[in-house]
Amino acid sequence: MSGRGLGWSPRQIALWVVGIAIFLLLPRVITDPYLLHVAILGMLFSIVASNWDLTLGYAGVFNFAHIAFFGIGAYTSGILAVRFGVSPWIGIIAGAIAAVIVAAIVSVPAIRLRGIYVALLTFAFAQLALALIVSQTSFTGGISGLVGVPGLSIGDYQFREHPVAYFYLIGAVLLASTLFLRRVVTSDFGLSLVALRDFEEYAVSRGVPLARQRFLAFLFSSVFTGAAGALYVHYLLVASPEVFGFSLGTLFLSMILVGGAATIYGPVVAGIVLTYISEMMAPLGPIRFMVLALLIIVTMWFVPQGVWGLVARGFSRRKTEGDGVIG
Amino acid sequence: MPLNVDRVSAGYGKVVVLHDISIAVGQGEHVGLFGPNGHGKTTLLRAISGLIRPSSGSITFDGAAITTLAPRQIVDRGLVQSPQGNTLFPRMTVLENLTLGAYAGRAWGKRRESLARVFALFPKLAQRQGQLARTLSGGERQMVSVGMALMGAPSLLMLDEPTLGLAPKIKDELAEAISAIAATGVTMLVVDQDIELLLGVCQRLYYIENGRVSLETREGERIDRQQILEMYFGTAQR
Amino acid sequence: MSVDTLVAILVSGFVAGSLYALMASGLSLVWGTLRMFNFAHGTLLMLGAYAAWYFSDSKGLDLGLSVGIPAALILLALGGILLYALLVRPFIARPGADLVVIITTLAGASFLQNAAQEGFGPRYKQLDRVVKGQVEVLNTAIGLQELLIIILTPIVLLLLALFLKRTKLGLAIRAVEQNHDSALLAGVNVGRIYPLIFAVSAVLAALAGIMLGGLFFITPVMGSDPLLRAFIVVVFGGLGSLPGTIVGAYVIGIIEAIAVFVVGLYWAPVVLFIVLILVMILRPTGLMGGKV
Repeated sequence: MSGRGLGWSPRQIALWVVGIAIFLLLPRVITDPYLLHVAILGMLFSIVASNWDLTLGYAGVFNFAHIAFFGIGAYTSGILAVRFGVSPWIGIIAGAIAAVIVAAIVSVPAIRLRGIYVALLTFAFAQLALALIVSQTSFTGGISGLVGVPGLSIGDYQFREHPVAYFYLIGAVLLASTLFLRRVVTSDFGLSLVALRDFEEYAVSRGVPLARQRFLAFLFSSVFTGAAGALYVHYLLVASPEVFGFSLGTLFLSMILVGGAATIYGPVVAGIVLTYISEMMAPLGPIRFMVLALLIIVTMWFVPQGVWGLVARGFSRRKTEGDGVIG
Repeated sequence: MPLNVDRVSAGYGKVVVLHDISIAVGQGEHVGLFGPNGHGKTTLLRAISGLIRPSSGSITFDGAAITTLAPRQIVDRGLVQSPQGNTLFPRMTVLENLTLGAYAGRAWGKRRESLARVFALFPKLAQRQGQLARTLSGGERQMVSVGMALMGAPSLLMLDEPTLGLAPKIKDELAEAISAIAATGVTMLVVDQDIELLLGVCQRLYYIENGRVSLETREGERIDRQQILEMYFGTAQR
Repeated sequence: MSVDTLVAILVSGFVAGSLYALMASGLSLVWGTLRMFNFAHGTLLMLGAYAAWYFSDSKGLDLGLSVGIPAALILLALGGILLYALLVRPFIARPGADLVVIITTLAGASFLQNAAQEGFGPRYKQLDRVVKGQVEVLNTAIGLQELLIIILTPIVLLLLALFLKRTKLGLAIRAVEQNHDSALLAGVNVGRIYPLIFAVSAVLAALAGIMLGGLFFITPVMGSDPLLRAFIVVVFGGLGSLPGTIVGAYVIGIIEAIAVFVVGLYWAPVVLFIVLILVMILRPTGLMGGKV
């Protein structure tokens, strides 16, 4: 469980200072544009993985629709910009809102169901979303994706000519998202989620509203995920169905599990590291996804609480975080 | 002593139910376990059967350690436990339930003779052999449960609350059958709430409370029925 | 609706229902005994198709279907056991094992899909048809392969039912499914029943893959759609209930065929998804009232 007083330990403050310093200085160190690109992707994926950790890790709800929240954010903003000429900045907000709406719709049946049914329903939903996107070719570009998505700009300043601008913007969003998630999981609400996960009957008998808390967890986890999806298309300038795909889903899952479920920081750090590893393996083709899958399985074998969980436990010697169902 | 439980502690996860408990059952002996609910009688049987592994202590059967053996290895040695009557295979017929009782290697070859014996003991089961277990009455389920253990060709038979929740008339019927089984000379360890049944069948009794033996009667010792009843109800109310 | 449309809907519904029945009965067996879901079940279908292709096709070992099909089934039986040993067995005693196994089998599915992509390349493959040609039924041409699938599947399922009902091992499998502890007390070696169940379910999935591989192209992701349908089927039929699952498979197959005819290929999944949600909410124990 995550204790409330643990929100800002000296260790955490140090971590934040170091993290922000690295973030600010990194573009000066990284001169290789490809590495900068990988860093940008890594931060985007960190957002998706750490927000997924809210439902998967903290709430212990096996929500496989999360990947669809990302995809829906992506396509909402992409379609608005390409088909309707809406500004990407508004698109990002629209993407976040669309993801929240979809999360609300999915969670209504999902929160009423028990473990395995939630997994089946949300898994089916993600597949359905993919099938629909692929089928509506005239609108979404079908299997080949939606091309010609505009990049971000402020006045005449085109972000795509200055990747560093994307770096700082997406980094700032990651920062905001992580602060938001920390705030959520250390609040009474976050504690009640963990209580429902670990001692459902007891928590319910003490008056914790199960359906409402899980519903909110879905909503909270979808906001930044949808925004990240929108940022993703305005960075890559294309929305392709792979944003809903199995491979990307596996990548996100590996970030949570390797990083450490129910830790937030674990998926954030693992998101960046694993994106780097994954991109370095890109020339290997399908083998990179085989390696990632193996990484998940080996992690579940040997370090079920994830690397962050392991490190945190070793440091504090207190049973604090990362002891969830999958932790 | 065919069965020796020596200072066994066991439980579920972090909850310790049995604390250093020791009991013994001699050859041909009929021993009863009684005591309040939730104090470890069933847990003790589960530990002996290998369903849970003791955290400390040892269990020997016919001179060999069985503490770490799998349930099927223990059953195959002739140490057979009847499942509680409400835990049969609900969507199987009476015959299938009984047949499964003889699943372990040694008993399988003798299943036809065993079946004839069970049907002789419980003629009702012969009539109901095609019926699904979940449609049986409480008494019939207990009969199936005892019958399943007999199908395992036991040299030591452990019965787990064979008269639990039964009306007096059916209880008598089962008590009679259990006495008949006892008369065949098989070694028995019986858990039940019904003291009368235990006193009728068993030579010795253990009173189990808080995961320990808090009283045992010695062999040949006259059992003071009244004393036991008083103690039982006295402590049960505490 | 004309007669030939009706026949076409029925044929495609029954072919799909047959595939779903084979897939879903394996899932249901695993669920019934282990209370776990195998998300890599779809890749077993895919591997079955690839294995049969590799053994039989002239670009592979060129041994023909008569060797290829049995060899693929044997290989997949072993594959099922391996999958159990690597992705399920290590987690079985952990708290929340059912959810951990979802993740490990998903990862396993990703591994196997990409391995197939890497190993067999991007070129689509197709199995030879076991039987070629067509027959006329009510003035409608039906492929013999389709007809074979429709006839063969109930026979396979009947054999499965007989195995479960009449053999000692089948009795043990049902015992584990109905009451884990009592099965242990009866002396059933539960640790050996689990891999057996995975082997049986892998063979059933492989059979579905071999059937599908003769009708459509073999691809690394060919198992995804059937798996998704099989999920819907097991929920529809009641998790763990084999008769419910089999009836459910045909019902879902027919519903899908009708949906494809009425709303088109792309919207048919939406219809199925709505069916899934309705069943989950209105009748969470499934069609035949199995246990949750």
